[in-house]
Amino acid sequence: MIKISDLEKIYRTEEVETVALNKLSFNVKEGEFVAVMGPSGCGKSTLLNILGLLDDPDDGSFLFNGIEVAHFNERKRADLRKRNIGFVFQSFNLIDELTVFENVELPLIYLGVKGDERKQRVEKVLDKMQIMHRRNHYPQQLSGGQQQRVAVARAVVNNPKLILADEPTGNLDSSNGNEVMQLLTELNEQGTTIIMVTHSEHDARYSHRIIRMLDGQTVTENILV
Amino acid sequence: MFKNYFKTTFRNLWKNKGYSFLNIGGLAIGIACAGLIFLWVEDELTFNHYFSNRDNLYKVKDRQTYDGTTFTFDATPGPFAAGIKSEMPGIKNTARTTWGNSVLFSLDDKTIYQQGLYVDSPFLKMFQLQFVKGNATNAFSQLHSIVVSKKMANNFFGTTNVIGKTLKVDNKDEYIISGVIKDLPENVSFKFDWLSPFKIYEDQNQWLQYWGNNGVVTYVETQPNTNVEQINKKLYGYIQTKQKETNAKMSIYPMNRWRMYDSFENGKEIAGRIKYVNLFSLIAWIILIIACINFMNLSTARSEQRAREVGVRKVLGAGKSKLISQFIGESIFTSVLAAILAVGIIYLSLPAFNSLVEKQLSVNVANPYHIGALLLIALICGLVAGSYPAFYLSSFNPVYVLKGIKIKTGGSAGLIRKGLVVLQFSISVVLIISTIIIYQQITHVKDRELGYNKQNLVYMYMQGKMRQHFNVIKNDLQSTGVIENAALSNSQVLQLGSNTGDFTWEGKDPSKQVLITVEGVSPEYTATMGMHLKDGRNFYPDGKTDSSNVIINESLAKILKKKNVLGTIVTQGNTNYTIVGVVKDFVYNNMYASAAPLILFSDTSNCNVLSIRIKAGAQLPAALSKIEAVIKNDNPGYPFDYSFVDQQFDKLFKTETLIGKLASVFSILAIFISCLGLFGLAAYTAEKRIKEIGIRKVLGASVKGLASLLSKEFLLLVAISCLIAFPVALWMMYDWLNGYAYRVKISWTVFALAGVLALLIALLTVSFQAIKAAIANPVKSLRSE
Ligand SMILES: Nc1ncnc2c1ncn2[C@@H]1O[C@H](COP(=O)(O)OP(=O)(O)O)[C@@H](O)[C@H]1O
Ligand SMILES: [Mg+2]
Repeated sequence: MIKISDLEKIYRTEEVETVALNKLSFNVKEGEFVAVMGPSGCGKSTLLNILGLLDDPDDGSFLFNGIEVAHFNERKRADLRKRNIGFVFQSFNLIDELTVFENVELPLIYLGVKGDERKQRVEKVLDKMQIMHRRNHYPQQLSGGQQQRVAVARAVVNNPKLILADEPTGNLDSSNGNEVMQLLTELNEQGTTIIMVTHSEHDARYSHRIIRMLDGQTVTENILV
Repeated sequence: MFKNYFKTTFRNLWKNKGYSFLNIGGLAIGIACAGLIFLWVEDELTFNHYFSNRDNLYKVKDRQTYDGTTFTFDATPGPFAAGIKSEMPGIKNTARTTWGNSVLFSLDDKTIYQQGLYVDSPFLKMFQLQFVKGNATNAFSQLHSIVVSKKMANNFFGTTNVIGKTLKVDNKDEYIISGVIKDLPENVSFKFDWLSPFKIYEDQNQWLQYWGNNGVVTYVETQPNTNVEQINKKLYGYIQTKQKETNAKMSIYPMNRWRMYDSFENGKEIAGRIKYVNLFSLIAWIILIIACINFMNLSTARSEQRAREVGVRKVLGAGKSKLISQFIGESIFTSVLAAILAVGIIYLSLPAFNSLVEKQLSVNVANPYHIGALLLIALICGLVAGSYPAFYLSSFNPVYVLKGIKIKTGGSAGLIRKGLVVLQFSISVVLIISTIIIYQQITHVKDRELGYNKQNLVYMYMQGKMRQHFNVIKNDLQSTGVIENAALSNSQVLQLGSNTGDFTWEGKDPSKQVLITVEGVSPEYTATMGMHLKDGRNFYPDGKTDSSNVIINESLAKILKKKNVLGTIVTQGNTNYTIVGVVKDFVYNNMYASAAPLILFSDTSNCNVLSIRIKAGAQLPAALSKIEAVIKNDNPGYPFDYSFVDQQFDKLFKTETLIGKLASVFSILAIFISCLGLFGLAAYTAEKRIKEIGIRKVLGASVKGLASLLSKEFLLLVAISCLIAFPVALWMMYDWLNGYAYRVKISWTVFALAGVLALLIALLTVSFQAIKAAIANPVKSLRSE
């Protein structure tokens, strides 16, 4: 599903040049659950942003379902993204001014789904994530675990083929963290490909394969199953 | 402590350069704008202050009632001045003057027209004219003496050492210069470069001796602390003690009211220029408020950033009142900065403003009034702009802000902010609509069907023997081939000077007088003017045969209430006139009203004006030089001086045009300042919502969708402003137009136009920020580490 080779990303500021990704290559097959690990600043988030088509690489190739997307323009990337990819962030990134229901509804609005169908689909996901009773609450009124469940609900509401999670348990205590990992595993079992950045060996064990990074390069790959 | 506040103020301004720029810039433009208006207002309100004796100076007003309507004039009988001075206690001095004479002066081969007055000698002392040479006591000891301004002395002699020198007047008499006075400033009611004894004028106009003829202006100086009401009570029936059958009622009218109030309707003083002075003062304050609103909005919007500072200061022991004074101090500091910047703006824009309002205004930083006013404005702005943010900021709970708990700015603060934006834009939209309607009214009246053709029509005041030689001049003009026709008349067509209530006719209610304009003309008059006959005939080419026939206008024909007015006899005194023609109503004197009743006589004995119709399509400069050649040949010794009727017509709309110009400048500035605020607010909102925008983008929102999401809120505010502004503007303009009998109809398209304009401008302003935010890469805004 994903094939990247010699991917490069360099951040240039006035004084310094940071090589965030240095000729990075790996593949991810459909249905896989991959964990990406490595010390802070090694380029994990950069990688995830490129995989999520939020950012473009400076060099290298990125085949998504066999199509070269490395040099797609903003509009094409956005279109591909909203149909295929869901995001879960460490800091949840819910919109404070919108209710739980409205937050989850957003991707469907942008996909152009009709109101009735939207309502059905959002309610279904909220049910699945067991936060239906909070549908009219605002994010600030929820606990961290609940907020992340909403974020996951929002990531999966449009049935993406790929979910990218950047330290999804980083801001949660262990019981809430486990709940989120449970959710991700279930989604994976239902066929969604997942790539997750994590600092926690415990969370990484939920995945099929661990890619370890250092200074923008992969160092090892551990296959867990 | 002050130093500490000063430091944080300055650092805050510096840290947020963009906002500070919008804040200070907007306020500076507002203050500059208000400053310019107040300069204009100062100039208007200090009109005639040049005359230090002004509290005791008066002009005599003459009220005459016809058919229930009272007309108010400045014209008085010749013997009136001397009469009241000797008979009325409390009157110290009186002086008569003419209305203003443009007289030809020559010295050797230098000939110049100069504006001046014939005045009684007390005039020189009453108005305390400042003599550079000579003195007020002896100036008029000789009959043919003349007092000239410094400017006029320099014009002719290049020096003010001119006592005893002579100037030739109208190519006839020699006047001896007996005094030189300082030039009068612009903002006084008089404009003259010379003064000569009234006696000269009186000797030439015997009719001045009669109590029944009102033809001169009379000024009065009262004894200090005189009861004016007492004088006016006595004056009321005074004329009737001299001349029973006149209905003129006199009173004296104080100099302090001449400029601002000298406007009468049915005998009662109505708000004259003061109306505009008040209006523009109001606009000045409104513009200041708009600028202050920017300040309030940007300060409260940015309050979250300062919440920590407030929290820390509170924890360290600052009380609420200390914080309030700190923030108000800050805003006063900011507005003083703005005021300083405003002085620069005023200096730069004053020349343009002066040419706009046709004044010679100047600012003077050494003038304590100007500095005081500026500081006062800065202080008021600082207080107004700072008060709300100060109370808002100082009420933050330190426990919450220091824990990092987000302060909800969406609540009442947000609502107030929105309300203020709505207020700004409502005012701007009202100003836009008013400007458009004022311009529409001006064009509407200018394009009005006048009843004659004002294009290609030249007139000139006759000199020398032009009247006697009219037929020769007319023939010579026509033989140039570029002139269609020429005619004589008492006055120029825009301003017909004489009227009377003396006419009677069969069937007229004897208890009522009808005021009728009377004008003597040569037979070519209606044809030359391009007027249309509705009924009957024109005067015969030999004017003498029609000496007891008249042409009347439609308006008078209606009053006569006869089936066929032709042949009707109208009588003045013992003289009968037969109506032989009716001319279609043409507009004169009041461009906003319909024509008043009028009688044209075939009588050129009092004609002063020669009107010339140039052929349509003729080259004007060429035609003028041909006219000049004819006039100079047939009437040598006088300079060629002429006016175009259409240009004089345009000049009649000076006040309206000025108001239109000022209104447009100020509405552009009001909307500009409002947009500065909106720009800052949009930038702030975009910044505050940057995380939300990032999330939405990650979830698939398009740039267009995001930009419209961000703009929508502001456009909604502008739309609400329009809804508030429309009825207000409608009411205001309805009221303004009511003052004009001939007025434009208010059309909904003006409102639509103003609304669309405001929305477009607001859209342009916010979409810049919205698009900037929408195209930003979300990766940056969502970086969580
Ligand atoms: N927008 C940016 N500008 C400059 N440098 C950046 C930017 N984003 C990331 N970096 C740098 O790139 C490197 C990789 O960052 P990141 O991918 O966020 O690491 P990780 O997620 O593994 O902690 C870091 O050294 C970081 O400082
Ligand atoms: Mg990271």
